[in-house]
Amino acid sequence: MIAGLLSYGVVCPGGLGVDALEKKWPVVECSSASGHRTYPVSLTDTSLQEFTEWSRAPRMRRSSHISYFLIEAARQALAGAPHIDLSRTGVVVSFFLGCIDYSVRFYRQMNKDGRRFASPILFPETVFNSPISHAVSILGLGGPVYSQIGDKASWASALRTAECWLRNKTADNVLVISAEEFDPHELDAFEAAGWLKRGNLIPSSGAGALLFSRMHSSSIQISNLSDGNVFFSRKDGTAAVRRGLSSLASDCPVLACATSWTMELQREVIPSHRLLAQPNPCVEAFTVSAAWDTIRAVRLLERDGELSEIIVPFWGLAQQFSAAQISRRPARLTP
Amino acid sequence: MIGDQSPGQIEPTAERRVVVTGYGCLTPLGAGAPASWSALISGQTARCPVSVIPVQGCRVTEGAQAQIPPLVGFSRRRLSRLSRAVRLMLPAVHEALAMAQLLDADGFCSQPYLETAISTTACGMEMGEHFLQSVWNNESRGRLALVAHYQAQQQILELQRRFRFCGPSMVVANACAGGANAIGHAADLIRAGMADVVLCGGYDALCELVFSGFDCLQALSPTACRPFDRGRDGLMLGEGAGFLVLEEAEHALRRGARHHAVISGYGHSTDTGHLTQPDQGGVPLEKAMRQALAMANMEAANVGYVNAHGTATPFNDQAEAKAFHRVFGCESTRLSSTKAATGHTLGAAGAIEAVFCILALASGELPPQINLRDPEHLVENALVKLGEVAQLESVMSVNLGFGGSNAALILSKQ
Repeated sequence: MIAGLLSYGVVCPGGLGVDALEKKWPVVECSSASGHRTYPVSLTDTSLQEFTEWSRAPRMRRSSHISYFLIEAARQALAGAPHIDLSRTGVVVSFFLGCIDYSVRFYRQMNKDGRRFASPILFPETVFNSPISHAVSILGLGGPVYSQIGDKASWASALRTAECWLRNKTADNVLVISAEEFDPHELDAFEAAGWLKRGNLIPSSGAGALLFSRMHSSSIQISNLSDGNVFFSRKDGTAAVRRGLSSLASDCPVLACATSWTMELQREVIPSHRLLAQPNPCVEAFTVSAAWDTIRAVRLLERDGELSEIIVPFWGLAQQFSAAQISRRPARLTP
Repeated sequence: MIGDQSPGQIEPTAERRVVVTGYGCLTPLGAGAPASWSALISGQTARCPVSVIPVQGCRVTEGAQAQIPPLVGFSRRRLSRLSRAVRLMLPAVHEALAMAQLLDADGFCSQPYLETAISTTACGMEMGEHFLQSVWNNESRGRLALVAHYQAQQQILELQRRFRFCGPSMVVANACAGGANAIGHAADLIRAGMADVVLCGGYDALCELVFSGFDCLQALSPTACRPFDRGRDGLMLGEGAGFLVLEEAEHALRRGARHHAVISGYGHSTDTGHLTQPDQGGVPLEKAMRQALAMANMEAANVGYVNAHGTATPFNDQAEAKAFHRVFGCESTRLSSTKAATGHTLGAAGAIEAVFCILALASGELPPQINLRDPEHLVENALVKLGEVAQLESVMSVNLGFGGSNAALILSKQ
């Protein structure tokens, strides 16, 4: 990537901060909204003091947990680079489901109490870009802001947007963030999609943020990105993954981060000796998992002198496959 | 992060001009850009009782709904599973690709690899609504189809499947500014040397959750949508889709594609004051407009017409009138909001309005400000009257959205 990776922030079921990624995360049983059965979930603890603090900010009083997760991850990343110019810092947020909690509550309310009696307070918070609007306001960021949506693979699209802004000098620094909250209706949806069949997808929540800069170099960079490897059916998935990986280094280790039906694809396409195991396999927070996995790869490269490159696949369960190649080498700044 | 372009890499150059080689739209005024434009220019409004979604119990039950033309090439079963959003999107994309000469004889995209930048606010929301109903009513049958057609990536997949192309897809959800952001981002990708051709635009279908949401905010007009009228009392919700094919100028020239406009400026800013209400001085919007002018290296006086966001809510139009007045002053720039005619199409608005801007550039006809009785003083002299024509070299399209998103695009003849 034509920019240095300055810092990162993590909100995950293991707690706050990057070290929490390495812990074994709690898994509990949760009933689906229909009450038909329970499934294991691994969720971020919403009672943490930091979230309570954010909820006291006047703007955040009515927001849901996704906003607290997002702003906390962004705060950590910004704290790691206190010297940057916030007025020239842009933000790209990548969501899979976004503000699902309030969306369900609002729709239930209008069905239960009548359309005109649904809460006018809830509705604006259901909009995809509400969480980042709060964060930008509170953190004082002045650069461009996009909320992007899609499956897990769309994390790569958020990284491309960051690159585009940095290349065009629309911003000097870009925060790329993802955040997800959890609602039990997700279990019914994922069950219907067949994603929970074999117990190899554990829904999760949290946030992850990476801060890139064109003004500073760093030893770790995203050196290559493979995006837009579309599949129209699961059967097409193998070809899409092979196509996606073909433009990346063919011999470097690959982070094992497939869940649900893509685990089979991972087994089929990537030899087991190339796979780097994870402390919390099967936990899936979609674009947030993509952020966590990107940060994990960066940490591995920072710690392990033997490793110079890692591929992080982003296994979209619905539309496409993408992947990032993360390398330890001097960053090339924009001319 | 290089190497993601396929096939081959694209080297950024100092000057990469971005041209529009195709456009299309489906609006409540008509299917296709010519039909929509003709109704718009003649001063029609699409306001009618809403029948495509349940609105009983809402304070306001009128809006602007689109007539979707028959879609060919789909089995009845597959058609029944497509969300309304997809059915709005496909004809607009077809029109845009055809105009850009990117369709082969079988109606498929002649470029197997085509990048997209697309805006939506509600995705395939009616599918999500039906899914929640199915959970609450304990009906498990058919849930897979609902889940499989709700999210934005599913609509993009349907688009890619219908026209047989693949490539990176960026879905921006910057609320009602998203359509302009999608076009601006597509232009940015081309300027950065990250793409040569991008299909961009926006879509949104009327849905129960969003309609009720605006209704409970008391943001819907019970009478008529009157942008920039001092007696305005709210917006009219609409639905539709607008799409453009943007292309690097040399690339278009090489393949003999005609260009209809140049994307000469793009600015975007975030209003951090309030989640739903714009800054009453219009300062963040002004910033976006001035950014666009700076990128276009243009004086405000060179912009002949501004397609305003103009939702006809008291707060929006006041902020916009102030920003417009500061940027354009008492110059000759003309102004109107086409939402009085089409309704507010949310994630599609910026794209549909960009299509109208291109048509204004081409024809010199200006979309009139309809439903006007008592105009806002600051913009009174700028508002377009029925039948006005002008020699236009450049026009601006402006959009604002929840969350404080502001975007401004400048489209020029050359």
